[in-house]
Amino acid sequence: MNNKITQNLYLLPYALWIVLFVIAPLLLVLYYSFFDIEGHFSLMNYMNFFTPVYMKMAFSSFWYAFLITFISLIFAYPTAYLLTKTRHKQLWLLLIIVPSWINLLLKAYAFLGIFGTKGIANSFLEAIGVGSKQILFTDFSFIFVSVYIFIPFMILPIFNSLNEMNPSLLDAANDLGASKWTTFRRVIFPLTINGVKSGCQVVFIPALSLFMLTRLIAGNRVITLGTAIEQHFLVTRDWGMGSTIAVFLIIIMFLIMSVTGNRKRGV
Amino acid sequence: MDNKINPMSRIFLALIFLILYAPIFFLVFYSFNSGGTMYGFKSFTLDWYKELFQDSRLLIIVMNTLVIALLSSLFATIIGVFGALGIHSMKKRQTKNTLLSLNNVLIVSPDVIIGASFLILFTMAGIKLGMFSVLLSHIAFSIPIVVLMVLPKLSEMSPTLIDAARDLGASRWNVLAKVVLPYITPGIFAGFFMALTYSLDDFAVTFFVTGNGFTTLSVEIYSLARRGISLNVNALSTLLFLFTLVLVVVYYFISQRNKPNGWGVNK
Amino acid sequence: MTNEIIQFRNVTKQYDDDPAVLDNVSFEIERGKFYTLLGPSGCGKTTILRLIAGFTEASEGDIYFNGKKINDVPANKRQVNTVFQDYALFPHLNVFENVAFGLRIKKMKNTEIQIKVKEALSFVNLEGYETREIRDMSGGQRQRVAIARAIVNEPEVILLDEPLSALDLKLRTEMQYELRELQRRLGITFIFVTHDQEEALAMSDEIFVLNKGKIQQSGTPIDIYDEPINRFVADFIGESNIVEGSMIKDYLVEFVGGQFECVDRGLNPDEPVEVVIRPEDLEITTLERGKLKVRVDSQLFRGVHYEISCYDIYGNEWLVHSTKRAAVGDEIGLYFDPEAIHVMRFGESEADFDRRLEAYTHGVVHEQ
Repeated sequence: MNNKITQNLYLLPYALWIVLFVIAPLLLVLYYSFFDIEGHFSLMNYMNFFTPVYMKMAFSSFWYAFLITFISLIFAYPTAYLLTKTRHKQLWLLLIIVPSWINLLLKAYAFLGIFGTKGIANSFLEAIGVGSKQILFTDFSFIFVSVYIFIPFMILPIFNSLNEMNPSLLDAANDLGASKWTTFRRVIFPLTINGVKSGCQVVFIPALSLFMLTRLIAGNRVITLGTAIEQHFLVTRDWGMGSTIAVFLIIIMFLIMSVTGNRKRGV
Repeated sequence: MDNKINPMSRIFLALIFLILYAPIFFLVFYSFNSGGTMYGFKSFTLDWYKELFQDSRLLIIVMNTLVIALLSSLFATIIGVFGALGIHSMKKRQTKNTLLSLNNVLIVSPDVIIGASFLILFTMAGIKLGMFSVLLSHIAFSIPIVVLMVLPKLSEMSPTLIDAARDLGASRWNVLAKVVLPYITPGIFAGFFMALTYSLDDFAVTFFVTGNGFTTLSVEIYSLARRGISLNVNALSTLLFLFTLVLVVVYYFISQRNKPNGWGVNK
Repeated sequence: MTNEIIQFRNVTKQYDDDPAVLDNVSFEIERGKFYTLLGPSGCGKTTILRLIAGFTEASEGDIYFNGKKINDVPANKRQVNTVFQDYALFPHLNVFENVAFGLRIKKMKNTEIQIKVKEALSFVNLEGYETREIRDMSGGQRQRVAIARAIVNEPEVILLDEPLSALDLKLRTEMQYELRELQRRLGITFIFVTHDQEEALAMSDEIFVLNKGKIQQSGTPIDIYDEPINRFVADFIGESNIVEGSMIKDYLVEFVGGQFECVDRGLNPDEPVEVVIRPEDLEITTLERGKLKVRVDSQLFRGVHYEISCYDIYGNEWLVHSTKRAAVGDEIGLYFDPEAIHVMRFGESEADFDRRLEAYTHGVVHEQ
């Protein structure tokens, strides 16, 4: 019936999009990963990837991404929890989210000023007698700024899962004699684990592939897989090697998605 | 905040908010510094704003950014809405889930990978890097967000509404135009605004797929910031902050009409 | 013009390999009457409604409307309108526009629409509510809007899919009167779906009792209440005491160890049967006068009567509705008239059942 045709018409541009911009790019990245810089088919890129240089880079990417995710979680969970206790919680949540709507580059740029040699952070350190320090271009500044940027994405899913929780469950736990800590450990946390998982997914994957922050804030001291991809694609023009790293990132991404469950970002 | 919360928690929340907003106000504050640096406030001046408005190159970039954002959101919304309708009308669970997974690939993919794979795609397809490739990319990564904002509205709609419209004599087109689209309008608007902010905020993808002659604001700020501090950027960020606030307020009102979904965040 | 408006001929509805939702069903609906499709959830009653409305297609069999086959007529071209269980009012339109929806689709002139919508709203006592938003209306008011939206199109048949189930008891009873009154005033056919037997008994000209995709029995409320065809109907409609027994001969039936005079005849001698006695037909009396001896097990006060649960020595439960109290634990006698006994044969078809009942009233003995 014409039902079928209309349905297919609905889907035509969307289906084209899926084929051209979802499936094709993934396949192209895979395809390019098998070509060396001269355009010959080879497995060199994969062999290169398993050399200490790239392994170290992959390891440090993971380490930084882990730190960023972990620190975000430590601050995000209590923040989300306290937010659910406020009276106008949706408004407060909105205020948490607003900074995430400010252009990422501007926030990074602000930290150039704050962490600069004569910046406000150093003035503060001098004022309390610690003395001025090199803050910019250190691991600390990189992780601090990353956490700053990602924390709203961690807060939001945790807030949502806390918010969805039926408050009478807490009363029930209390009623059954659970202490505050037991209630948290046995009731609240298990029920919000999905929020935590999707928060971690939403932070970990982008953190693994940061490249702009590494350049601006870490001053090339931190080289992540993301930086390497950018380097290969836009500087050395070794698309094959760049694609190989991308393939690994994609695999890791799917692994993480299957571990943390396919939750959608930010919604 | 509520009096249910103990003082320690209040201080914690206050600190989180302080840290989230400090960099933004820091930028705004120094945009009025005649000293030309982000430390040592000399005296109040509007020179940076004047300079900004005389910088025709920067104004053109702002225009480009806005045009790309509006056009890409518009196209992404149209395609995304029809995509959501198509996915929603799928009867088989399996097909539906596969489509949804494909839909979400670009949402969970790191920007670097999207950028790199699109770069390969455009090069292979012989599309010149520039405004057109940037526009296509922005449409491409905005579509899945629109779909995700519209789908919950569609599944929330009782199927009897469609039966009722058919029962009252509505043709398939009538059902779509008079019942379904009006019903999901809040979702469509939310999707459009999300797409708009994604586009305005995007740096990495644009950085990969833009050519020599075409730049968006994010990319421009990046290259300015790499060169060091210029208070033009501060003035610009103040204006962008105000603009974002306007968007947030608009989005807030849309979301209030569209309550069940809560908030979305930008990346 | 014949009086039939809808006819189902051997209609079956089946999804994939699941058991049929509707199993070879045939029936006729007459013009201008109030019909109720009654049955437990999953019995197929809503499927019949959806088939008539055109929301779903029959797997087999034909459906006729005014003598024309309508199997392939899409829902938007059918002369019926539906009132949905969740009302299905369009949340983005106000009351007026909801009611006007069908008329606007027909491209009716604006002035005409104004008149018709006003009229429909006054029919359901909602004058002055035109500009209200749906979300500002109570459940009962939404119900009325849904009805107005259906009747404004002047359909020949209105389908009502459990429209009262979301209302509280008091409002539901009120709406039952109103719907019945509305049907009389409009003079069109109402087909009402419900699982609430009291509702069905109170409102209908004609009830179809459904179970497991088949029509078990159809008839007036009184027929169905007094003469249920089988255990399912007897159980589903009202409360009943059902025991197994056997027909000794005409006018004499045996159950729970005794032989009792009854009004049924025309069955085979010693044929196994089921016997129904309604709780209100049982009278509490002394052990000497009682036809049955039972022990009172529990008692509930139900307002107009006591509901007393008793057991006989065989372990059968006997439910009695009585205005007199009984003392729990006492042995009492139960008395009933011969007319109170209703005898049901196992596996009797509706046609045979009707013929048998017909025979009693006309005094003709129907030998098997």
